[in-house]
Amino acid sequence: MLGDDVVVEVIEVSGSSVRIGIAAPRSVPVYREEIWRAVKEENAAAAASPVTDLPQNVPASKA
Amino acid sequence: MDAVTLRSTRFGELEIPADAVLEFPNGLIGLGGSRYTLLARSDEAMFVWLHSVDDPAIAIPLTNPWKFFEDFAVELSDADVERIGIDDAAQAQVYVTVRAAEAMEDFTANLRAPILLMSGRGYQVINQAPDSPVRVPLLAGVAENAGQAA
Repeated sequence: MLGDDVVVEVIEVSGSSVRIGIAAPRSVPVYREEIWRAVKEENAAAAASPVTDLPQNVPASKA
Repeated sequence: MDAVTLRSTRFGELEIPADAVLEFPNGLIGLGGSRYTLLARSDEAMFVWLHSVDDPAIAIPLTNPWKFFEDFAVELSDADVERIGIDDAAQAQVYVTVRAAEAMEDFTANLRAPILLMSGRGYQVINQAPDSPVRVPLLAGVAENAGQAA
């Protein structure tokens, strides 16, 4: 068990490989690890943005 | 109308209406928390802050992706459709997170994990649409359009 709601089961063992299944309630999102890590990093970086004033408008030359 | 006191390391203490508090049942990816609110200097603001109501130090810049990326699309996985309770991202307000910097040329956006807001709730989803980078220069799409129009 992972936590109260998530169950990991072994579905198949064959040679040196093991196939697992993850059973989680619909309310619990399950992500591929590399995507989760990349997004976690982006969220942390965005939260660490070194500015307090955000621009109000796109620069005129680009509008 | 009840007000909630928002304590912010960036903005000090603010009173916000209780109905401006957004519940994120699953928090943000890797960042947890459950209550956030949007802070903006005006209704037409290009960028807004998604500010945690529970943690005074957590605030993330957001923007409307279509202002910068004309062809941006959000596709939801079946799991997210069930989790969130909508079929189509068009039923929600869609924002993307932004790494802000001193110069706008150095801003980047995350098109891979947009934030959907609806009915006082918020969710961060993984965009199933192809070509949705987790980190792309914010002005990349704008520069292309300007080039074509010249």
